[in-house]
Amino acid sequence: MVQERALLPELRERVRRIERPAATVHRVLPFGVAAIDRMLPGGGLARGALHEILGAGGDEEDGALAAAFAAGIIGRLTTQPTSASQSQTRLGPSLSPLRGGEGLKISPPLPSRAGGEGRGEGGLVLWCLPRPDLYGPGLAAHGLDPGRLVLVRAPRDDEILWAMEEGLRAPGIAAVIGEIGVLPAVASRRLQLAAERSGITAFLLRRWRDGGQAARERALPNAAVTRWRVAALPSQPPRGEPGVGRPRWRVELLRCRGGEPACWEVEVADATGHVSLAATLADRSTTPVPAERFRRAG
Amino acid sequence: MPLADALSFFPGLATAAAELAEDAAALRRLAEWCGRYSPWTAPDGTDGVRIEITGSAHLWGGEAALAADIMARLDRRHVSGRIAIADTLGAAWAMARFAEMGKDPVILPPGDCRAALAPLPVEALRLDPATAQGLRRVGLKRVGDLSAMPRDALARRFGETVMQRLDQAQGDMPEPLSPLGEVPTRRVRLSFAEPITEPTDLMLATERLTADLVQRLVREGTGARRVDLGFHRVDGLVERIRLGTARPSRDPRHLAALFKERLDTVDPGLGVEDMILAAFAVEPLPAEQIGLLGHPAGSEASGIAPLLDRLGNKLGLAALSRLEPRESHIPERASVSVPAAGPHPGPPPWPRGREEPAQLGGGDKPQRPIRLFEPPEPVEAFWLLPDDPPFRFAWRRRRYRVTRADGPERIADEWWQPAASGAGLREGGDAIRDYYRVEDEEGRRFWLFRAGLHGNDRPPRWFVHGVFS
Repeated sequence: MVQERALLPELRERVRRIERPAATVHRVLPFGVAAIDRMLPGGGLARGALHEILGAGGDEEDGALAAAFAAGIIGRLTTQPTSASQSQTRLGPSLSPLRGGEGLKISPPLPSRAGGEGRGEGGLVLWCLPRPDLYGPGLAAHGLDPGRLVLVRAPRDDEILWAMEEGLRAPGIAAVIGEIGVLPAVASRRLQLAAERSGITAFLLRRWRDGGQAARERALPNAAVTRWRVAALPSQPPRGEPGVGRPRWRVELLRCRGGEPACWEVEVADATGHVSLAATLADRSTTPVPAERFRRAG
Repeated sequence: MPLADALSFFPGLATAAAELAEDAAALRRLAEWCGRYSPWTAPDGTDGVRIEITGSAHLWGGEAALAADIMARLDRRHVSGRIAIADTLGAAWAMARFAEMGKDPVILPPGDCRAALAPLPVEALRLDPATAQGLRRVGLKRVGDLSAMPRDALARRFGETVMQRLDQAQGDMPEPLSPLGEVPTRRVRLSFAEPITEPTDLMLATERLTADLVQRLVREGTGARRVDLGFHRVDGLVERIRLGTARPSRDPRHLAALFKERLDTVDPGLGVEDMILAAFAVEPLPAEQIGLLGHPAGSEASGIAPLLDRLGNKLGLAALSRLEPRESHIPERASVSVPAAGPHPGPPPWPRGREEPAQLGGGDKPQRPIRLFEPPEPVEAFWLLPDDPPFRFAWRRRRYRVTRADGPERIADEWWQPAASGAGLREGGDAIRDYYRVEDEEGRRFWLFRAGLHGNDRPPRWFVHGVFS
């Protein structure tokens, strides 16, 4: 019986490897917030995968919160050294003695297709968008260095999807993000596969022109590994202080492959893009909201 | 003879309206097609094509073989032509139009211009009809007659042009040929015995040409910034793929991949008989350290250059940009987008966290919006006191009720800068903006500003300049 228990996870792992052979080598990026990381398989956001981020209400048009949420994640993706929860040896340059003892053999880092080097620390961020309204200082405030950005402006959704896919194949890219209105299911599948193969993390920012488009697109399934929705909440400045307080968001994990939907209320804390659970609501949000009405999205 | 007269003589005359523009276009296409013989080609007047074949005749096995090739190909297209090859443009022009010749092209040996031109009529000197008639009236019927006359007298009576044309034809005065297109720095050509149409064949030929071109670039230590692949079709049309690269390139795989992406835009028609690959902007490109596994051990920028090329060639290089900070108080000037392609002299670093003005409450809140609208979008706002933020505003068909607000943050025009951007600024003397960060009931945060002051002639106007996260 004991042996069987030990066998099961191994079998599961083997099945997973057969199902998605490429995905196993990529690590995860923790949010650094235990309540959120706990709900994500592997303890963080999967690297080398496609993630979808939605706005809410009027922000579905502007995509401000979604952009900020993505900027925070990408900022950590590009600055934080790889903190692996799934064990993965670093594929850096290594020295090993040659047979026969004649000198040293220098093994260079494996090329990026192997999915190891060049993902964690550096690299450029390809941000594909229909109109260039991203504001550098605002991005910097969320922890994403705008100097890392390469903006690709394309008026049409299919061009943006194409540019994203190209970016997912290129070396030297840390993350790819695209602002998409209409997303065909096939396109999302292609992006997910490309992300798995290259180990580059991809983000889809859904930005809809109008309510009609939003209503049509919101319910459609796609191949993204996670689907998030970020909505603004009224800020709660300290008692007696006038003006606008720290931004507060309701972050909903609508869909997560291998995980459960969940919902948190967070406060955007500092210039590094870290989020913290909203102080007054910490109790409620550590126990994730069952979020039944989002289950259909999964 | 007017058409009416002609028809009265011969009622069955077949007539067609002259289509001058069409003719000119056809001649231009013909000149472009002649690009297979030399890059220096240009349409000549309304009925000719000039080709500068210095240095390219040997590729065809000599001048006679070249002329025969042109003739044969024109024949196949049912175009009748007369070909002359001479030392000077003027002489070739004259021989092609006025020399006694059968079907064979006239080829003047070097140095023979003077003698060959002498028996031709003066019209052969590319003179306007009035001048030529004037010369005839005084008995100067042949080009040879002119040589015997005193130059001054001729010039005084008939203008400088006569002598100039004579000198040009005889090679005493240079006459440059301005080519149809830009003359490439490097050019390689591939001709096919049988016209090719299959995409795979075209791709193979493209790879071969890029390899040839790259070989020459490597020898010179240069790289191409702009390349042009011309497909000369059997029917005389020329299809082109033009490419630009972010950095000078001489990687055959990279260039071939760029062409491959666009190859489906080429219509080979009945077949392609020639392909010409030309490099235009060529820049020095020193030898590069190649990584041990064959990957360039270059910087970050060189790593993504192929990606930028692919994106740029499909979307236009202008679609690729990077953000750079600038020292400015005006929000839209503080972050500018610069082209992503091309050399990067190391962009200035972005400040990590913004230093906050104390009166705004300080702390670590992001005080600049994440999206900035350029130009700012006007809103309909309602406010009570002159310095108050609006309590309500309407923007993009939606109404918002303001529950919280920060501000004002006054941003005045940078009077020392020319008014390049900032449509909201200066216009109507609204050189001052008061910015408010407002939050609506749902918690969405906007960056509003009021342009203009109370007490001016016109009431202040409100704009939304950005949205906060």
